[in-house]
Amino acid sequence: MATHYKFLNVIEKCINCGACFAICKDQNKVPHGTARVKIVTINEGRPGEKNIPVSCMHCTNPPCEAACPTKAIEQKVVKDWQNKEVIVVTVDKHKCIGCGYCGWACPFGAPQYPHHLPAELEERKGIMDKCTMCVEPFDPKKGEERLAKARCGLFCSTKARLGGDIAEIYPQYKEAKARSTMAWQERVI
Amino acid sequence: MATRTNSIGKSNGIRMSRRTFTKLTALGTAAALSGIGSVSAITDKFPMIASASPEEPGVKLVKSNCTHCAVGCGFHGRVENGVCTGIEPWLENPINAGSMCSKGTSIAEILNSPLRLRTPMEKVGGQWKQISWAEALDKIANKMKEIQSKYGPDSIMYIGSAKTSNEYCYLMRKFAAFNGTNNIDHQARICHSTTVAGLANTWGYGAMTNPWNDMRHSGLIMFFGENAAESHPVAMLHILEAKRRGAKFIVCDPRFTKSAAVADMWVRFRSGTDIALLWGIANEIVTKDWHNKDFIAKKTYGFEKWWDVVKNYTPEVVEDITWVPAATIRQLAYEWAHPPDGKPACICWAMGATQHTVGTQNIRAMACLELLCGHVGKPGGGTNAFRGHDNVQGSSDTSVLSHLLPAYYGLTEKDWKHWISIWNEHAPITYEELKAKFAEYPAGSGKSLMNVTGIPVSRWHDAVLEAPSQPNPIKMVFVWGHSLNSIGRTKTLKAAMEKVEMIVGVDPHATIAASLADRPDGIIILPASTQFEQDGSVTNSARQTQWRNRIVEPLYDSRPDGWIIRELANRLGFGQHFTYEDTARPTSDYQRMVSPELILKEFNRGSLGIMYRGKTPERLKAQQLQCATECNVFSCEDCQAKSGPLTGQYWGLPWPCWNENHPGTPILYHDTVPIKEGGHYFRTRFRATGSTPGNPISDDGVSQLQEGGYDQKNADGTDGDGWMYQINESFQSLIDQNICPSGTGRARFRAWEMPDPVPVHREPIESPRPDLIDKYPTYNDVADLYRLKTPYKTIQDERKNLVNEYPFILTSGRQVEHMGGGAETRSCHYLVELQPEMYAEINPAVAMELGISHWDWIWVENRRGRIKVRAYVTERVNEGVIRNGRRVEATIFLPYHWAGILEGVSYADRWPPGTEELAYGESANTLTVEGFDRTTVMQETKAALCKVYKA
Repeated sequence: MATHYKFLNVIEKCINCGACFAICKDQNKVPHGTARVKIVTINEGRPGEKNIPVSCMHCTNPPCEAACPTKAIEQKVVKDWQNKEVIVVTVDKHKCIGCGYCGWACPFGAPQYPHHLPAELEERKGIMDKCTMCVEPFDPKKGEERLAKARCGLFCSTKARLGGDIAEIYPQYKEAKARSTMAWQERVI
Repeated sequence: MATRTNSIGKSNGIRMSRRTFTKLTALGTAAALSGIGSVSAITDKFPMIASASPEEPGVKLVKSNCTHCAVGCGFHGRVENGVCTGIEPWLENPINAGSMCSKGTSIAEILNSPLRLRTPMEKVGGQWKQISWAEALDKIANKMKEIQSKYGPDSIMYIGSAKTSNEYCYLMRKFAAFNGTNNIDHQARICHSTTVAGLANTWGYGAMTNPWNDMRHSGLIMFFGENAAESHPVAMLHILEAKRRGAKFIVCDPRFTKSAAVADMWVRFRSGTDIALLWGIANEIVTKDWHNKDFIAKKTYGFEKWWDVVKNYTPEVVEDITWVPAATIRQLAYEWAHPPDGKPACICWAMGATQHTVGTQNIRAMACLELLCGHVGKPGGGTNAFRGHDNVQGSSDTSVLSHLLPAYYGLTEKDWKHWISIWNEHAPITYEELKAKFAEYPAGSGKSLMNVTGIPVSRWHDAVLEAPSQPNPIKMVFVWGHSLNSIGRTKTLKAAMEKVEMIVGVDPHATIAASLADRPDGIIILPASTQFEQDGSVTNSARQTQWRNRIVEPLYDSRPDGWIIRELANRLGFGQHFTYEDTARPTSDYQRMVSPELILKEFNRGSLGIMYRGKTPERLKAQQLQCATECNVFSCEDCQAKSGPLTGQYWGLPWPCWNENHPGTPILYHDTVPIKEGGHYFRTRFRATGSTPGNPISDDGVSQLQEGGYDQKNADGTDGDGWMYQINESFQSLIDQNICPSGTGRARFRAWEMPDPVPVHREPIESPRPDLIDKYPTYNDVADLYRLKTPYKTIQDERKNLVNEYPFILTSGRQVEHMGGGAETRSCHYLVELQPEMYAEINPAVAMELGISHWDWIWVENRRGRIKVRAYVTERVNEGVIRNGRRVEATIFLPYHWAGILEGVSYADRWPPGTEELAYGESANTLTVEGFDRTTVMQETKAALCKVYKA
């Protein structure tokens, strides 16, 4: 039974260290100027400052898939690094025509349209790029064996970003969230 | 919604080569993590990664440690065909459980950086020229001999590094000794030297008392001048876990930092007034009778005389000095004395507290606050100094310092003889032979400079331009893994670098050692291997030592630091003392002749003062191996092994680790557990005149033994300092009897021999409050502090009304994306993308008055010069107050990682071609004030005055 792979962010714990951004770049060789995950800060510099890592959330009903005219965006089942069948949202770069509809449809601003593409796709500018859950690139030696392993979740410096099987990470999220709020006001002397 | 099984197929082949490095273009063949089934029975939570390698031909995962801060995070380097193609998390490492920050996750990029220095280079006739290793080393050695004979051995300054492994740090200190000088120093001087002096003079050892993971058990975590969210992001893993369990997290800082954003409470105070604020809290605690009287009576000394000083710092008095309202100080005092659930409170700091003229006293004040409520020596309590570099604790332990010998031994004849006896075991050397290498000063006086503290790194440039108390000024400098832009007063630095006869830079990158000086020749730079290309041990801030494996063989034409030291020693005629041949290593291995295992064993043998003795390479490697073969052996709660053959051992064997049977001492002064299980007591270190073995007394005749305590011991159990000098003893019988060889002494509220026995508030050299200078003046001038004349009072008085000219407070700090001088991180695409430019933080109210918009170019100026930077308009910094119709006391914040531009003029063209960093900026330290800590000569970077105007 395939299960959904998701991201949950305990924003009370995010300290904007940039680990998710950097490991994503390192792991997936994301071109300069493009970010598959980016930390957005609100109320910067004043009490109430919050940091929120934003990326593709691998929606259960992805609006981008509905908007895509060429069926380049699809939900697929792959294996994860713990050998479990998981569902992620993928983009086929050979089918994408760079129309940008997914960018309009996505509520998170996840789709990116980098200008610097690998050589074989060079002639088609603006092909959509987004989080792949670190699904491994295709390797002919291994055939169809493909493993998903979201590095940003594993490397997050404060375990604020949880990536993986929603059934596994949701209890962790709830536990982390329980007492991580701004507790100061509640405990009056 | 329909989903289809697999087959993302060939379509998604991401084959973007990240650089012209052809071996890396085959990135499509990344590691698959099979082999999980075989070990999944052990744990469900953290499946094994390391064991995947046998099933994955061509992919190897190598355990290593990050180099970007002193947390000591572990990670796996992923090696394919001898090339590091990325990193994978090391989830079983108890310190970080896989977590890393942006700098850590960029390690593969930093290691493979095409901007690294590739071959030795020399500047000749204004041009950079490639030279061979042999030619470079010959030239350097000949120049050293020339300088030594012409000007004396003290005219060469050795600037070492906290980035080097323990072994090569130790070798570096030994190298300076064999060259006949104490002029060796490194980053610890400008990082936590005041912490070492402050803590060691309070209770014995100058190190972080509790491990990182232990903060999970704290009831209250208080930050003073620390921004862990940027400087030690993975420490926040444990702090936020503590907070989740109900701890309070309070940040006291002049800025609203990223750490403050996740805190329960944030208190803004004026830069340089830490002592006043701490004493305000202490005053309220004692007034309200919340202090731990039992603890104070049994284990401390000097409370009454301390109170004579502190009683004057009432919250109202402190409010005027610090900006903090008296009610807030009272609240802080309540919280400090009443942490939730009865758990202890810990206090944490970093450069914000240490880099002041009163740095040592700041730290003393924090330690006194810990003593006041008896929070120290308990899980969850303690004074946690967050050190900066990955091995700065280790480099301090091996003492790449101008006032110490390895393991914090002093420079007295007895201490020299101790180390020479160790060195003599390796190759013959006598005390007299070594003493003959040192100069006499004044000439003919018979006083050897062997016993005199050397030039500190914070003022080495002054020792070039002024007349230090040694035969001649500095004429040659080794910059061995040190970013010079972290040293104050860049223009003075530039002048000094142009005046010396030769600069030798040893670093993976060219750095500003190669480029700051505008000179046509006299610079040789050598490409050192990165930490990931050489084996060695590293000690993190919590005294935990980990064995760092090389991930790949040295890239380009780079060489391990130890190899370079030995080659120079060979040319200088004492190579036998620096040859540690390990026949198990292949002849092609550059570390074969400088085996880290053998060097660590030599250091361990002599390191009785801090007891590295149990940290043998075999034990360190066994811990790492155990961590690889069985999951979750070492607990994330207390870093102790709970199962397997290493049961009971603490991760990294934190010192003091008395011998090879000892599990390590994770919490210093934790006196409720037996010594053999990691117990410890305050040392009986302090002995005024009149003390005898068995009876250490203070200057006013009070015994320094705690209630029912005993003095330090010889190995046979008699009183004496034998535990520091008896190299052939194992001290097992004392440990078995639960006797702590370092004694059971009292912690000191009053340190009688220090410049201020009890810390008092002293205004910074450049204070925005002329009215407070008379009441809280700085120190009197010192004629000879670390061989240099050091003015305090004179320059403070002269600048008394400087605030009229320069109204704003200048302070500096960290960016999470960059590290130290930034040569590595500013060469990394991802990090530069996150943080591409130097800026100054300025409050919106100030910016509006000055007509400055966000990201405008502005000049920040003071007496040392001016820098042209972007304006970052943010409420992180305060807006100051209006006094006499003028805005004053607004804070201007500068990150300090930048170099490459000086006073608006780029000197990027002076880098060797192809090694220029990706991003340049003005150095914040161009504006650093000429203030230095009175005890350790730490530079004052956090409190100066400046003005700002639109460019």
